[in-house]
Formats: sequence, structure tokens, C-alpha cells
Amino acid sequence: MRAYIIKRLIQIVPTLLGITLITFVIIQLAPGNPAVFKVKMATQGQVASDAVSKQIIEQTKKLYGLDKPLPVQYLLWLKRVVTFDFGNSYKDHRPVMDKILERLPITIQLNVISIFLVYLISIPCGIYSATHVGTWLDKFLTLFFFILYSMPNFWVAVVLIMLFGGGDFWDIFPVYGISSIGAHSLPFIPWLLDRLWHLVLPVICLTYGGLAYLSRLTRAEMLEVIREDYIRTARAKGLSERVVIYKHAFRNSILPIITLLAFLLPGMFGGSVIIESIFSIPGMGQLGFEAVLARDYPVIMAITTISALLTLIGLLISDILYAVLDPRIKLE
Amino acid sequence: MKKLVLVLIVIAALITFFNLRKSEKIGSTSEGKTVKIDYSHPVPGDWLIRHLPAEPSTLNPILVTDVYGSQIDGEIFDSLIRRDPKTLEFIPQLASSWEISPDHLVYTFHLRKDVYWHDGKQFTARDVKFSYDKIMDPKVDAAPLRNYYRDIKKVEMLDPFTVKFTYSQPYFRALEFCGGIPIVPEHVFGEKDFNQHPFNRAPIGTGPYKFAKWDTGKEIVLVRNENYYGKKPYIDKVVYKIITDNTVAFQVLKQGGLDLMGLRPIQWVKQTRSKRFKKHFRKLKYFLPSYNYIGWNNRRIYFRDKRVRRALTMLVDRQGILKDILYNLGVVVTGPFYINSPAYDKTIKPYPYNPQQAEKLLAEAGWIDHDGDGIRDKDGTKFSFEFLISAGSKFAEQLSTILKESLKRHGISMTIRRLEWAVFIQQIDDRQFDACTLGWSMGWESDPYQIWHSSQAKKGSNFVGFVNKEADEIIEKARREFDAKKRNEMYHRFHRIIHEEQPYTFLFTMNALVAVDKRFQNVNVYPMGLEPREWWVPVALQRYK
Repeated sequence: MRAYIIKRLIQIVPTLLGITLITFVIIQLAPGNPAVFKVKMATQGQVASDAVSKQIIEQTKKLYGLDKPLPVQYLLWLKRVVTFDFGNSYKDHRPVMDKILERLPITIQLNVISIFLVYLISIPCGIYSATHVGTWLDKFLTLFFFILYSMPNFWVAVVLIMLFGGGDFWDIFPVYGISSIGAHSLPFIPWLLDRLWHLVLPVICLTYGGLAYLSRLTRAEMLEVIREDYIRTARAKGLSERVVIYKHAFRNSILPIITLLAFLLPGMFGGSVIIESIFSIPGMGQLGFEAVLARDYPVIMAITTISALLTLIGLLISDILYAVLDPRIKLE
Repeated sequence: MKKLVLVLIVIAALITFFNLRKSEKIGSTSEGKTVKIDYSHPVPGDWLIRHLPAEPSTLNPILVTDVYGSQIDGEIFDSLIRRDPKTLEFIPQLASSWEISPDHLVYTFHLRKDVYWHDGKQFTARDVKFSYDKIMDPKVDAAPLRNYYRDIKKVEMLDPFTVKFTYSQPYFRALEFCGGIPIVPEHVFGEKDFNQHPFNRAPIGTGPYKFAKWDTGKEIVLVRNENYYGKKPYIDKVVYKIITDNTVAFQVLKQGGLDLMGLRPIQWVKQTRSKRFKKHFRKLKYFLPSYNYIGWNNRRIYFRDKRVRRALTMLVDRQGILKDILYNLGVVVTGPFYINSPAYDKTIKPYPYNPQQAEKLLAEAGWIDHDGDGIRDKDGTKFSFEFLISAGSKFAEQLSTILKESLKRHGISMTIRRLEWAVFIQQIDDRQFDACTLGWSMGWESDPYQIWHSSQAKKGSNFVGFVNKEADEIIEKARREFDAKKRNEMYHRFHRIIHEEQPYTFLFTMNALVAVDKRFQNVNVYPMGLEPREWWVPVALQRYK
């Protein structure tokens, strides 16, 4: 087991290198150059003569380190990244790490709450559906989750804002930001409530779409397991239905759900551009999106590298969890 | 069951909490029903909460490139001189007086001696010199700004309160540029890298408002500078709320969470008609110097002939588009100057929507459907071109669809190509386009050199490749003409040439649409927009403390 983990950890290094190299090349291949973009954007393209325009752009390229050949740029980047220095953003010259750390907490809060809610709601619903196959409630849940699944979240977000945000209907929830004016001076409990109150609408938008998939998955897995012989045996032993379902059936059906955990880790790191923009939440999604639009290479590289690393770690963890939960699986 | 109870408790707590906050909000709002409102004289107090659609990248006036950062900097930093909002004449600000040499090459500014930076240090000519040096320093990320100061030969400090700018050639906008140079305090910047200095997110200026705080992604707060050398503003605090989604911002405005916000045409026309809205908000509509246009790449075989360009203009139903898409919230323009400035020749009337005339012009230019496939051709080339738009611009989307339909009816095939903004700019910069739609915004006075001089056609902003000898001569001569009246006469002639040549199909100058909370008094619209530092709120109506 230990040998396996060490082997996998070592494998992460070349994979990660490959990912960063490909990302680096793809970004460079994309049309649009950050230096040209910055100069043209700011002057509305009103840069004076040929010579001046060229000179100004060359100066800006040099400032951003874009004047060196590509392989050199990549190696320089790599050298810095080993020490977790992702360089400075072209946009405001702040260290990329600072910008990410500033936005990470709120993204994690949103993701943890919504993922937790997805699991909390869909697993019991899946189990219920599996044990009550064909009842009207099972059918209703299926239909309901699929309706939710098909509603685009930008539309739901706007509808929720119109209904609950104090336009012409109810004024119950705040519609933008993550805390009230002056909330940072509140004691912890009121601060927490204020924060939760702000997160209600965005969390709803992030949660409802995920219910269908997970509840269907649980239902299907449960149905398969319930038909197994050992469940009949358990029933024949005279165990209570509760024990049969939760101890014998459910435990064996959660394996595929573990696979999903692998993607939780990078999922925590990435944000939703749409929901963040609508609710004015300064999270990771907006940071990444703006960076791509402005060709802010250091920020794009940092976000991809960290997400890739987290995905690799997530995969490793889920593999280990398999072995822990299912004695039949052996890792070598 | 236990869980259900827990959930209920949490919900109950949330609701109580929200009600509590709500009552607080109402408590602090003076409804003014019983209190008498005194409108007789301006009083200090209250906050102004403004909308910011995106976060600025920096607040350093030398590095700032986005319009949001510049707007905030306008409150924090004063420049040597400024334009009077009413008369648009230059008036003293940090400089108490200035002299211009007879050859218009040397500008000497005498600085006020009673100006202090927000941190208490005195403002001197050293700061001006330092700022100029930083702008010109290639290690400073101020390339766009540097472009405006390239004609300055040197900046000298004659004594701590006198500074002299020497130009290498006379230019009619020189005073505007050297008098408006952004000035930062020298003493704050040490050896540290200018681009990364903490100052950039916590600026220190000389203006009527002091920087108070910047919460990333949430808000930027300014407070009144109590030691301001000039007339202090009445409003205590200006809060810029960052709300990225326009619909949400509008909702917040209606709730009373914003005091000032720009509206979209549809909001102006359809969503602000309720009694409640009218009771709380004043709607203002005014022009700002900008226009949008369709640019024809004059190098392309289709658009080489001015008759074709004129015909294309006649195929765009500008009045119709203005009425149907833009709710008539703008005006059709015919040339490259601000419609309310004296440089604009109002006697030039826009070409009307006239398909018959357009067909005639196209035939004259040789574009006739020879092979009967429904598309005009000339010398074996079909009139089939690509129209570049920036993805995400709703107006460009609508305009291009209308244009496509209209051209199709008259034998011209047009395909629409949507590009992401960064790529769009690159394509225009490389001259890889047939036609596109964009806009320019200008100052009160503008110099057509950058957009229309033939020297700019290869790599500069004259991306449509407009080349006209007479126009070149006028542009060059006007740059050295310091008599505004004579210059405007030249510009009228230039305007006429542009109108005849139609290198662009000029579209509209749109109205700026704004909603302002009614509690603010003395809200005036000036030729260059609003002046919130004149606003005040009667004591009984003041909402924040």
C-alpha cells in the first residue's frame, strides 16, 4: 500500500509537467497578445505613429517578460513555480498567489455548502426512490429533479433575484455580495448569520442542478444491490428493514459515489463564473474568466496548475478510498 | 425529526435576523413626513452610493487604464488645471496661474503653496517632476499614457512652486495635456517597484476626497478631505459598490441600495415608469462626447470607391434603427467630432435611407449582378464580405443582422463574424477585416490626427486606411492653430471631406442615461456630465452617517 502511494505520488510530477507545458503552449497559441491588448485597450487604439506604437508595445512586452523566446519563458515560469511563486498578474501587478488567496475562501464556502447540500438531499432521496420503486413519490422525485436539472442557472438566478430580492415582490434576501456593509465589525455569530443570509440565493443556484445526477446514481446502485443474494439472506435472517437497507445495501452501493469524490477537490477550487457574476461574488470563477479575457497569462497558468494538481491528488485519494472501503480491491 | 427541528430553528433565526436588519435600515432612514425639510442652503452630510460595474485594476493615476479607476481617481487626485464644468474654459486647480510662451512651446505653472497631500506632506513641483519621470520610465506600466507626453522635451522645476514644461513642437492641446498630467506624491514611493507599490491600492492624493478602503470585489470607499484647499464637497462619503450584473444593480437601485447608476435604454424606457420609482429617483439624460460607427476597410476592393461607401450608408436605415432598437435615445451623427462642440458642422445633414439612390451609386461604381445569381459583381469579384463584431455586444449583434438583411435585398452578401474582444482587437490591428462596428469616445476638443491622418493608416488608429491629401493638410495645420475659431473653420471643412468620402458610416451619439436619488439637491447636467461634488442633501433627508 505504501509503495503504491509513493509510486503514484512520483507519477504526479511528470503528469503535472505535461499539463503545464500543454497549457502554456495553448495559451500562447490563442490569438491576442497581452501587451498589445493592454496598450490598445487603454488608448482605445489611439496610439500615435507606427514607430511609437511599436516601441510602446515592445516596452510593455519587455516589462511582462514576453520578449524572451517561448522555451525560456516556460523554464523561467517553472523555476518560480517550484517555490510556489506564480509571478505577478499583468492586470495590476499584484502577486497571483495573493489574488487567489483573497478569493479562495468565499469560493470554498460556496462550494462546501452546496456540495454538502447536494449529498444531504440527493442520497436520502435516492435511497427512498430505490426502496419505493414505482410509487407516485418515486416518480414525482424523478420528474422533479429532472425539471430542476433542465433549468439554466442564470435564468433561475435572475428569477430568484426578482422574486426575493426586493424588486416588486418580496424583499427577503440580499441580491449581491457576500456580507452587509460594516459586517466585518460584527461579533462572530451575527457575522455568520449575515454571511449565510447572503449565501442563500447563490447556494440554491449552485445546488439544485446537481440533485438529479447524484440521486439517480444512488437509486440505480441501490436497486442493483438490493437484488443481490446477501440482501435476501439478511432479510431471511430476520434483520430489520432499516439494518438491511442502511447497513447491508447502502454501504455496498456507495462505491461509485466515492469516484465522484475525486473531482470534489478541484471542484472546491473552481468557481462558477455565471453565478459569481450575477451575485457580484468576488470568487475564483470571475478571476479565471477575467484573466482569460485579458490574456493575463500568469493568472491563467496558476489556476490551471493548481486545479490540475488538485485533480491528480483527488484521483489518488479516491483510489485509496476504494481499497479502504472494498477489501476486494488491492492496490499494488 | 430532530433534524427537521434544527432546520426550522436555523430558518427562524435567519428570518428574525433579517427582520432585525430591516428595521435598522428603516430606523436610519428619515422619511421626512413630519420633519420639515430645509432646502434653503446647502449643508454637509450624507453619503453617495454609486454603482461600479467592474473592479478597477489599480487606483494609481499613472497606471490606471480602465474608465472605472479613472473615474474614482478624479475624486482623489487634482491636476494642475481643470476645465470649468460650465464654461469649459481652463481654470486654476493645483496651479494658481500659468504662462504660455509666444511660440507655444513653453508652459510655466505657478503652484499653490497651501496644498497638502492626504498624508499631510506639502505638495511641491518635485511631485510634478517625479510624476513626469515615472510616466516616461519604460519600467513603469504606463505605456498608453506615455504616448500623450512624447512631445515634451523636458520638465524642469524652477523653484519648489514653479514648474516648466518645454515642448518640441507647438500643439493646440498641449496645455490640456501638461496641465492635466496625473500627479502622485514623490515621498511615498521609495526604492520599491512602482508597478507593485501598495500605493496603487491605497492612493494618496490632493483632491476633495481621501481614499478610505478598498474591499476587493465589494466596494471602494472615499471620505471627504477636511483639509482640502478648495471648496469642500458637501457629501461626507462616496461609496462605490461593485455589482457586476446590471440587472442586479438595477434591482439594488430600486431597493434604495444605490443612489446613482447608469441605465440601459430598455430600463430607461420600460422599467422605470412605476410611481415608486418616480417618487424616489430623478432620471437624467445627456450627451457625452462619443459616437459609434461602421468602419469600411478602404483597402478592400469592395470599399475602395467612395460611391460604394456612400451607397452602403444609404442602405443603413439609421433613423429606423435608432427608433426601433435604441428607443430614440440618441442622435444620428455625420462626422468625427462631438455633436455639441463647435468643431462639429451642424449644417451637414446625414445621408437619408435611400435604397434607390444606393442602387444607382452601386451600378455607377460598376457593381452589377452580371451573372444573375442575385449577388452583384465587378471584374469577376462577387460583392461578398465579412462583418466583424465583438461577441457579447448586443447592439452590434442587432445592427449586423439588420444590415445583413438590408444588403441582401440589394444584391450584397454579408456574413457576420463574432470574435472575442481580445481577438477582435488583434484582427483590427492587423488590418485583417472587411468591415466592423466600433465606437470612439473623445474629449471636449479632439484632434483628428490619430484616427484620420494617412500616417496612421499602416499601424495606427486609422485602421480603415483613410487617405486624403487635403484632409492631411487640414489636420496638420489645425494642430498648430491656437485660435479656436479658425481651427473650427478648418474642422468644418474636414468634416465635409469625411462626409463626402464616408470612410465610416457614422451611426449615433447615444444618450448617457442616469438615475439619481431625489434626496440630492443641485444636481445639474453640464456639457461633460454630472458634478457630484456640488451635490448636497437636506438634513431631514440624510440617510447615512
